[in-house]
Amino acid sequence: MVNDQAWMVLTPLATLLGAAMLTPIVASAARRARPGGGKAVDVFAVLGFTVTLYTLYRLYLRVYYSGPVSVALDPYLPVNGGVELHVDMLSVYMAMIFCGIGLLASIYSVRYMEGDTGHEYYYLLLLTLVAGMVGVAFAGDFFNLFVSWELMCISSYALVSFRKYRWEPIEAGFKYLMMSSLGSLTILYGISLLYGLTGTVNFRLIRVGLDSIAEAGVPSPLYILVALIIVGFGVTASMVPFHTWLPDAHPAAPSPISAMLSGVVIKTGVYGLGRSLFTLFNPVAFDYGTAILIFAALTMTVANFVALLQRDIKRLLAYSSIANIGYITAGLGIAAYALSHYYPVDPGLALKVALLGASGALFHIFNHAVGKGFLFLCSGCFVHETGTRDISQLEGVGRRMFLTGTSFTLGLFSLAGVPPLSGFWSKLFIILAGLSIAGDTALYTITAILIFNSVLSAAYYLWLMQRIMLRKPSGLAAEAVEAPGAMVIPVIILAAVSLLVGLAPGGMITLMEYVSKALMGGW
Amino acid sequence: MASTAYFAASMVLVLIGLYALLTSRNMLRAVIGLEVITSAVNLNILAMGSSGGTVDPLAQSMAFTSIVIGAAVAALALSLVIYAYRHYGSIDLRRLRRLRW
Repeated sequence: MVNDQAWMVLTPLATLLGAAMLTPIVASAARRARPGGGKAVDVFAVLGFTVTLYTLYRLYLRVYYSGPVSVALDPYLPVNGGVELHVDMLSVYMAMIFCGIGLLASIYSVRYMEGDTGHEYYYLLLLTLVAGMVGVAFAGDFFNLFVSWELMCISSYALVSFRKYRWEPIEAGFKYLMMSSLGSLTILYGISLLYGLTGTVNFRLIRVGLDSIAEAGVPSPLYILVALIIVGFGVTASMVPFHTWLPDAHPAAPSPISAMLSGVVIKTGVYGLGRSLFTLFNPVAFDYGTAILIFAALTMTVANFVALLQRDIKRLLAYSSIANIGYITAGLGIAAYALSHYYPVDPGLALKVALLGASGALFHIFNHAVGKGFLFLCSGCFVHETGTRDISQLEGVGRRMFLTGTSFTLGLFSLAGVPPLSGFWSKLFIILAGLSIAGDTALYTITAILIFNSVLSAAYYLWLMQRIMLRKPSGLAAEAVEAPGAMVIPVIILAAVSLLVGLAPGGMITLMEYVSKALMGGW
Repeated sequence: MASTAYFAASMVLVLIGLYALLTSRNMLRAVIGLEVITSAVNLNILAMGSSGGTVDPLAQSMAFTSIVIGAAVAALALSLVIYAYRHYGSIDLRRLRRLRW
């Protein structure tokens, strides 16, 4: 049953997995051609990502013009549990972000990983990582979601501890493996309970089953399932108090992998959280908005205060990632809260606020992926040229490496929410959504916390900018020269994207309308 | 109901695995605790999928997939344990506390 639709959906996944399988073969062939193998593997991986991005663009056009695409996998047709791939606007949007950052990280790796051995394994793992994330975005049921999820997680464990001859990656990798596996098992336990309750793993059919259960009011044991899903996805999305692995794992990984992990992998957790909660549990009947808001407030505040204490540049950026996860979950929480509390009273207003909050959150996923991606790539350039991650030793390095330093400043401003850069718009959306219901204490509180945290984070972004860009270079930083071209190009591309989206957000805002409707409208 | 007994057993196994994971000072024991939890969740999937003697094929394939994934995670974790032993000369988790803030 490979028709046109199935072909469209399966091509990106097949391309990524096929490229991953072929990578070791390409490597050994290149080694026969010339000793060391040259750059064959690196170029092959970049090509694989490029082709995947093209197929995703074709799929995006298809979904945009003729609605969601759904492919049932044969042995389990929808009557028998319904294992399927379901692609709507949200899935395509997330998959394109994942694959775009993956492409730039692979271009960056060509020069950055020159000093390391085992390139074929590195690129194989990078390709399977992105394949797993695209699979999570395309999954229409929990079976596919779980398999893709674990493909992504196992690849990221191996990538974090890739430089296995040093103590830090080993230690961080072990910690990450333990905590993240426990999170995955929590999700699986929740899935098995949902399966026992409704007799299916398909999202749509679970929704039907849960709606029929919740018709006469929601029985409180069902909130155990909500809690399992929030905790399980919260470990990967690194909400406080499940965040403890992240500040160790992200700095320990090689810089392009840090960019992947901080920019994209933790967003997969947020995507899974939003998709499962909004699709499975009708937000009008279930009140999980408050819980998400509490987690979001905790996440932002704790992460920003701890970030103020950091003296290691990559660690500081990792904590700022956690804070941004707080903003994103705040947007989702505002949406769920508005629906559950105000839909019975005033459906129009509740839907308006929910769509605004959700589009702010999804827009911020894009902004943070771009911004944090190129901040980590820039810090990788600094580390590559100077060999240190200590901020006090990196003082003034931005003056010696002009292009990288300027991009770094742009990224910091974008994440701090300085207009007209792209980070400003998404924060504005979330804040507007929080303020649009008059006289609601909970929403006002979360908005106040969000604004306070924005100011706090702007403070340490500016501090970092001042140290990197304005001080006189000394010691290690004085000898730095501009990074090689292949490392600067991805940074410049991402900076340009951030600037363009910030100056002309119209197209992006229109896209967000479709994407947030795909999240809210279920199926 | 036989499946209720299996459900209760899987809960007990989850608690045993968590206890092993949280209180052990040995890396190998922590990995074993993780594997116990994996097995418990697999048992729960099968218990949920069974009804009067027959088991839904979907539950069976999920459990098989989960077993394979658990094996992969265990292999990776054990390789990390070997590398940690080469670095530190011990597999005591308390020695791995250099990363704090």
